[in-house]
Amino acid sequence: MSNAQTAQNRYKADLREIRFLLFEQFGLGELLGKEPYASWGEDEVNMVLDESYKFSCDVLGPLNSVGDRVGCHIENGQAVTPPGFKEAWTKLYEAGWKSVGVKTEHGGQGAPMALSVAVEEFLSGANVAFAMYPGLTVGASEVIDHFGTPAQKELYLPRMFDGRWAGTMCLTEPAAGSDVGAARSTAKKLPNGKYSIKGTKLFISGGDNDFTENIIHLVLARVDGAPQGTKGLSLFIVGKMKTDASGAILGPNDVALGGLEHKMGINGSTTALLNFGENDQCEGELVGTVENLGMPQMFKMMNVARIGVGLQSVSVASAAFLNALEYSKERKQGPNIRNWKDANAPRVAIIEHPDVRRMLLDMKARVEGIRCLIVKLARHQDGFVVNQGKDDAAASYHLGQVDLLVPLVKAYGSDQSFRICETAIQVYGGVGYTKDYPAEQYCRDSKIFSIYEGTNHIQSMDLVGRKLGQNGGANLQAFLGDIGKFIAENASHPALGPSIKELQAAHEAVGMTAMRMLGWFQMGQMSMVPVVSTRFLEMMSELAVGWLLLVGASIAIEKTKGLADGEEGAKDRAFYAGKTLAAKYFAMNVLPGVKLKAEVLGREDTSSLDISDTAFATV
Amino acid sequence: MKILVPLKRVADPENANKVKIAAPAGGLAPKIETTGLEWKPNPFDEYALEAALRLTENGTAVKARLGEVIVVTFGPAECDQTLRGALATGADRAIRVDVTDDQLDGDLVARALAKLVDQVKPDLVLMGKQTVDSDSNQVAQLLAAYLGWPQVTFAANIVNEDNKALKIGRVADGGQINVRVQLPAVVNVEDRVVNPKGVTSPPTPATHKYADGVRFAPLPAIMQAKKKPLEVKKLADLGVEAAPKVKYLGYEAPPARKAGVKVKTVAELVDKLKNEAKVL
Ligand SMILES: Cc1cc2nc3c(=O)[nH]c(=O)nc-3n(C[C@H](O)[C@H](O)[C@H](O)COP(=O)(O)OP(=O)(O)OC[C@H]3O[C@@H](n4cnc5c(N)ncnc54)[C@H](O)[C@@H]3O)c2cc1C
Repeated sequence: MSNAQTAQNRYKADLREIRFLLFEQFGLGELLGKEPYASWGEDEVNMVLDESYKFSCDVLGPLNSVGDRVGCHIENGQAVTPPGFKEAWTKLYEAGWKSVGVKTEHGGQGAPMALSVAVEEFLSGANVAFAMYPGLTVGASEVIDHFGTPAQKELYLPRMFDGRWAGTMCLTEPAAGSDVGAARSTAKKLPNGKYSIKGTKLFISGGDNDFTENIIHLVLARVDGAPQGTKGLSLFIVGKMKTDASGAILGPNDVALGGLEHKMGINGSTTALLNFGENDQCEGELVGTVENLGMPQMFKMMNVARIGVGLQSVSVASAAFLNALEYSKERKQGPNIRNWKDANAPRVAIIEHPDVRRMLLDMKARVEGIRCLIVKLARHQDGFVVNQGKDDAAASYHLGQVDLLVPLVKAYGSDQSFRICETAIQVYGGVGYTKDYPAEQYCRDSKIFSIYEGTNHIQSMDLVGRKLGQNGGANLQAFLGDIGKFIAENASHPALGPSIKELQAAHEAVGMTAMRMLGWFQMGQMSMVPVVSTRFLEMMSELAVGWLLLVGASIAIEKTKGLADGEEGAKDRAFYAGKTLAAKYFAMNVLPGVKLKAEVLGREDTSSLDISDTAFATV
Repeated sequence: MKILVPLKRVADPENANKVKIAAPAGGLAPKIETTGLEWKPNPFDEYALEAALRLTENGTAVKARLGEVIVVTFGPAECDQTLRGALATGADRAIRVDVTDDQLDGDLVARALAKLVDQVKPDLVLMGKQTVDSDSNQVAQLLAAYLGWPQVTFAANIVNEDNKALKIGRVADGGQINVRVQLPAVVNVEDRVVNPKGVTSPPTPATHKYADGVRFAPLPAIMQAKKKPLEVKKLADLGVEAAPKVKYLGYEAPPARKAGVKVKTVAELVDKLKNEAKVL
């Protein structure tokens, strides 16, 4: 098959897998037909999955390589996005795919988050660079919904939810990346109650576009006289355009597009340098009415955005996996290893080669594993919503799990995503390195996921520094308790026994390492914590993934028993066998590493601290 | 305008290689194996539905329906899904005539549709020119004959004149024939009817450009689809006898394609084209 990469959709998803997670593993059915999801039934869920997938393949997928090759540029001070993006934006909002999970009071359909993450996966998987514009728009509107004044909600939300206006988040500055508190942008209160905004923001995704009449930037800046550090930051609504209270556009708001980055990937997404108030004419409104709450407010958006990055990660990795799988069935090379002596043996598809199968199963297990993490997080969010105000203990349990899972979803998901894409290239061989096939773009696109929204190290510090001890440690205990319960119930599982043993060892290793780190905190050995936190996040994520894949496998094994014989049950039988073997593969090949890492961390090796800056190299 | 659009689900043409015909050696298979196939609405029927929607709306404000589009299919309960899809895309109500696929032929469908037309009383029956599974291209023609209505086939563009007549450009060899047809009528369409300017129908402004192709089911309509009426009828309710004229004796797969040959010289190629392929 020839794969000239112009305006051709290469995206595909396995809808059977998505339906398995939603309905068979994570019990979406329990939520349907009841408040607050009363308007949702299984039919609606299925139709939404089918139609949003179709939309993603037909409208967004063909623009993925176009966006990559053409990229964005500036004309007359305005960003020009790749051909087709503007039309796709219009179609996206006409079709309503950005309002699946939006509250009904804002014209959305109020779906369970477990469903909206599935829809998001399709949109991002088909074209991750494009999907950033609407993704950030939703994120910004949710901040205004949560913290804005009634007047702000009335002005901004309808326009942002229906796609007339876009949104961004502006934290990063040249001297303030990971260290957000170093932000130098300033805000000075004006007599009209608004603020004069001045400063430079860097790397702003969607910082400019050519498809909306206005862009609502949420800008972190310091009010004159406010304390240094994150404590003194406030969040401002700053339009690209000035508007009146009715939303009519009055003119530019002194927000200048200073440049666009030339990047490794996500080339269809503008990454903008924005200069606010170069002419002292940039006006912003404080989000809400109280100054210096910028960080907690931005955290709301960051939580949503971090889950979003986890979603981007699985979306792209899954597309890379499924494309590599397709190619492995087409490409013929070499004989089957059983016939290695026979020069005339038939050439076989590379999927027959054991090492290609290993790579494929490795990708499958990891893709499905990180997807499990996300659907689980989403299901806990739904559990929180359902129990809120009714059952405090249940609500707090669910919310605690969401908090705990966010850094895992973001950091583990994105680290894995890049590695899965890299494996996909390896499956292709030489053509994987060319632009005739989509794997190299997936790989380039996915690298950013471990960097933005807080680098993965920052995520690991969030995990060990905040999340482990959150709620007096109750969230972690509940998490480990849930896994312990599964292990106890399945210790003598006839098919999964050996895998459960590996899970148990990993479970003990994570518990032990968490205790060890607590010890370091208590004994003032703080310097060890950042040395190990990245690896601890990985250990905990692998434990979670191993567990969730095995839960899936145990369900798959049960369901296989009820299948019809022969052709009729063949498709499901193969599907369930795939679920079972992916879980077994992960348990037998990845989980043992958790125990090993625990041992390594236990040795408290400090070489990386001991080495002096000059000892790294002589240049 | 009230428009009846017959819809048929077909095995996904992109997965047509999954169609299994398990014929015994030297004989015919009694049926086509349909387990494991994925079903889709027949693309030409989707074009008919899109054209029908364009004829019953203002293209600049599609939420307000200005006419009625009724979709009908013949098939078992699983086909409700195809109808729900059409309702989600914008059709106003649906009818399923409950039959199994092997009880049907084009003539029976046409006779049943004729009875249904008596009940529903549409101004127009708009249908796909053929289904992509059996490619018969006969139901519209038969139906028009049974109804005694005028028919236009292979419509590539449609201009609505006050809901009383249609000006239709129909595809013909080497060009297009323009005809004008009084309603009620039976019209079948081909794919060009869903071009941005395929349908012109006031009050949609003549300057309005539709998106190319059929529309996507928008989310709010998907959520409403279950609330739209879907009626199930039996052939007997229509007073039609379930007696197909076509008897299916058996099935066999087309012969597998022979391996290609590499020719060494142009002369050899010309020779083969002349004497083997007989195309020169
Ligand atoms: C394509 C793209 C899109 C982006 N979109 C946005 C956006 O929409 N809005 C926005 O505000 N920002 C955005 N960013 C910025 C992004 O969030 C930052 O790049 C990121 O937070 C890292 O900051 P930095 O680049 O300054 O790296 P630095 O903070 O300089 O980090 C460099 C390295 O040092 C490590 N490091 C830094 N501080 C510490 C510490 N205290 N302890 C241990 N290690 C540390 C980091 O983990 C990293 O490995 C985007 C960036 C890119 C490239």
